[in-house]
Amino acid sequence: MRRLRALTAGVAMLAASVAAAAEKPVIAAVNYPLAYFAERLGGDAVEVLFPIPADADPAFWRPKLKDIAAIQAADLIALNGAGYAAWTTKASLRRSRIVDTSAGFSDDYIQTETVTHSHGDGGEHSHAAIATHTWLDFALAARQAEALASAMARRVPEAAATVDAARSDLIGELEALDREAAAAAEALRGRAIIATHPRYQYFARAYGLDIRSLEWEAGEAPSEKQWRDLTALAEETGAAILLWEAAPPDAARERAAAAGFADAMLPTLANRPGTGDFLSAMRSALADLAALAPTD
Amino acid sequence: MIRAFVLSLAMIAVALPAAAHKLRVFAFVEGETVKVEAKFSSGRIPKAGEVRVMDAEEALVLTLPLDPEGMTSFPLDPDAAADGLMIEVRAGDGHSNYWLLTPADIQRGRVGQ
Repeated sequence: MRRLRALTAGVAMLAASVAAAAEKPVIAAVNYPLAYFAERLGGDAVEVLFPIPADADPAFWRPKLKDIAAIQAADLIALNGAGYAAWTTKASLRRSRIVDTSAGFSDDYIQTETVTHSHGDGGEHSHAAIATHTWLDFALAARQAEALASAMARRVPEAAATVDAARSDLIGELEALDREAAAAAEALRGRAIIATHPRYQYFARAYGLDIRSLEWEAGEAPSEKQWRDLTALAEETGAAILLWEAAPPDAARERAAAAGFADAMLPTLANRPGTGDFLSAMRSALADLAALAPTD
Repeated sequence: MIRAFVLSLAMIAVALPAAAHKLRVFAFVEGETVKVEAKFSSGRIPKAGEVRVMDAEEALVLTLPLDPEGMTSFPLDPDAAADGLMIEVRAGDGHSNYWLLTPADIQRGRVGQ
C-alpha cells in the first residue's frame, strides 16, 4: 500500500512538472541572436520558440502553416525589424504580441543601393532597401536585447524577475563584445576588405571598416564568373582580405590564398551555430579577424 | 464585422518597411467566404493574376483569377481548410507572394471576431 501511495505521488509530481513545463510562456524569435537573448533573459522561466531549420537562412525562411500557428500562439514574438524575415508580413501576427527590437533605432537603419528597374506598365522606377543584419553592430545588438527584455518583462510578468536578474549580465557581455570587435577592427582600418555576401553593413559602420561585397552563395564553391568579379573588385579597391559568411569548400579557400587573399570566416549567426553560442562563436570569429592584421 | 475589418487592418499594418515595391497579399475569412486582396506596395493594383489556394500539405485545392480590382473570393471548404490555407497570388512579371491563414484565423473569421 505504502509503495502504491509513493508511486501515485511520484506520478502526480511528474504530471505536475510536465504541466508546468507545458505552461511556460513562449517567446518566439525570428533569428538566432534574438532566440539567444530570449534564452539568456528568460532562462527556465520561458520556452523559446525558434522553429527555423538549421540549414535555412531565417531571413528567407518560408514557414509552414503549423509553424505560423505555433508562432501565433506565442506570448511574445520577437522581430528583428529593419525588414528582416519577410514571412512576418505574410500572416496575421497580433500587434499586442509583437516586439520590434530595432524600432528604437530605426533612424539608424542603413539604406542599401537603390535598385532601378521596370516591369509591366509601371515605367522605370527605383526603390531602396534596408540592410537587415543590425545585430552585427554589437552596440545595436545590446539595444535589441534591452528592447526584448523590456517587452518580456511587460508581456510575461511571471518571468519579469528572471528577466531583470539576467538583463544586466547579457547587456554587459554584448557591450564587451562591442569593445572586442572595435579592438579587432582597429588594426584593419584603412585596409579594404571584400565580403562574399552583403551582410556586414552594420558591422562595417560600427567598427570603421571598408567592406565591399560580392553576391556569392554562403558555403558554396564560387563560379568562374564570381572569381572574375572578385579579381575585378580587388583591383578596384586594393583589397587583399576576404571574409566568408560560411565555410566554403577547401578548394575555394586554397584558390583565394593562391590569389593573394588572407581570409577569415565571419558568420552572421542568423541561425544557431553548430557549436557554442552567439557570444562564444562571435568572439572566436573576431579573434580570427584580428589575426589578419599585419604583425609588424 | 467592423471589428474583424479593423483587426485585419491592424494586422496588415504590421508589414515592415523593407517590403518596398513588392506584391502584397492579404486574405481573410468572413463568415463562410475566403476573401483575397493583392496590391503592390506602391499602391498600384495588379490588373490580372492567378490565385492558387493550397492546404496545409501544400496540395493545390483550387485556382482562380484575380479580378480587375486585385481581389477575389471563394467559398470556405471546412474540410480542405481544417489545418489552414496558403493563398498564393501570381501577378506576372515575376511578382508573387502569399498569405497564410491558420485554423485560428479561419475560426475567428467564421465567428465574426
